[in-house]
Amino acid sequence: MNLHVIQPKPKLSGREIARIVLSMSVACLAGAAVLGLVYLGTERYQRASVEATERGAIRDMLGLGATARLLEVRQYLVPGARQVVYRAAPLGATAGTAHEVTFTFDGALAGEREVPVAVPVGKEWTPLGRMFVATQAGRPAGFVVQGETHGYKAPIRLFVAMEPDFEIVDMRIIETTDDPGLGAEVAQPWFREQYVGRSAEEIARLDVTKDPMPEDWKQALVAFARRAPDGPARHRELLQRERTRPIYAVTGATISSRAVTEGVRKTVDHFRRRWWLLAPHLEGSL
Amino acid sequence: MSTVLHPGPAPSARQLILNGIFAENPVFRLALSLCPAVAVTTTVLNGLLLGVAVLFVQVLSSLTVTLAKRLIHPRVRIPVYTIIIAVWVSAIDMSLAAFAPALYAQVGLYVKLIVAFAIIISRLEVFASRQPLVPTFFDGLGMGLGFLLALLMIGAFRELLGSGSFAGIALAPGKPLLFFALPAGGFFSIALLMALFNWIERRTRGGKAARAKSAGGHGV
Repeated sequence: MNLHVIQPKPKLSGREIARIVLSMSVACLAGAAVLGLVYLGTERYQRASVEATERGAIRDMLGLGATARLLEVRQYLVPGARQVVYRAAPLGATAGTAHEVTFTFDGALAGEREVPVAVPVGKEWTPLGRMFVATQAGRPAGFVVQGETHGYKAPIRLFVAMEPDFEIVDMRIIETTDDPGLGAEVAQPWFREQYVGRSAEEIARLDVTKDPMPEDWKQALVAFARRAPDGPARHRELLQRERTRPIYAVTGATISSRAVTEGVRKTVDHFRRRWWLLAPHLEGSL
Repeated sequence: MSTVLHPGPAPSARQLILNGIFAENPVFRLALSLCPAVAVTTTVLNGLLLGVAVLFVQVLSSLTVTLAKRLIHPRVRIPVYTIIIAVWVSAIDMSLAAFAPALYAQVGLYVKLIVAFAIIISRLEVFASRQPLVPTFFDGLGMGLGFLLALLMIGAFRELLGSGSFAGIALAPGKPLLFFALPAGGFFSIALLMALFNWIERRTRGGKAARAKSAGGHGV
């Protein structure tokens, strides 16, 4: 029989250990240097591509032509001064000026100024959210607001697109980590199109049901999402009946469905209140 | 017979590349990295993108190892190889995210998984750590091309049969054989193509050597 005797490995000398440590350290340092260089080389392009995707999504959601201008408004919390700052600039601008409007926590105007876009925001400023205002001929033509809600596992990020009267025109899930096939199904067109066409007041009262979705409504939503020729007409017709009914949850994903509904509700509600405060001060930027 | 695993006289560039594509094809011969090969090959374009990423990671990692082999302490060579692979995978991941965002959105998850691909680390251990620069480059290139071509074949086969399209262009109405687009169908596709590969090899060489070699694969 062939007996395998395990040879004890020779004990490592101090010098040997030092060489091993050196070998690993050199590998890690060289790797970090390579990654740093690649990051510096690609960061600009990655930002540009994320921005192009966002810009496309916003235009697509609002159904706007290429002539519409997009204004990006970022909201920051300044905890030390107990203030909220809105900074508005054309989407993707790297030069020019941004308009900054500052409010106190109770909604009183605390200041207004023009700053170069390139000036970074204060270190203690906490980003609260972003919204995009599309303008045509100096009037708001629609809004896209970024919202967040607690999903089944982690936050779900979403974009809600609204008409100037805050009626929902589209909703997109930007990021979710909920399970594929279950919670992640809330990104399905037939689910998200349920919010479209409802007014802000209807959204505020919106409920979620586990009841199965009526087949004709589902078909109308799918046709609408696919931009079928008769999609808008069928959708409008059935919306009259469904308008007063709750959102139909994705089967097996009631928590995620509720989370998204709550997210849309909060996003619309917060945005309406902010916009009343903000709009008079943004007129020069529109 | 002197094979790549038992270094004799240095093989030529052509031999090394053909070795990666045919005699030691990572998917159809060595049966390595089958899991990702099944996961991403539902369409030709996904297969192509992952194949290109693997090609780059394989060549860059092989070159790094062969250049740095004197610096790598043998006791910690596997962790060091892993670091080298992880660095190149991250670099390619960032580049894809920057330059091909639409495709990256679909296969990004699998690109990160290249770190754990058995084929790459196995080439570092059996070839790059023992051979000089030039043969290592061609071995990496051959293995990468072999993997890329295998993914393209599987992707084309599955997309044609499973979705009735090629590279996203619909050729047939509906989904002819949806089964092939599903994960289990992926394994059947690989098996069928592997059989085809064996058949061709046997026809061309009539070789007993080929038959003996094809027995037994390993790894994930």
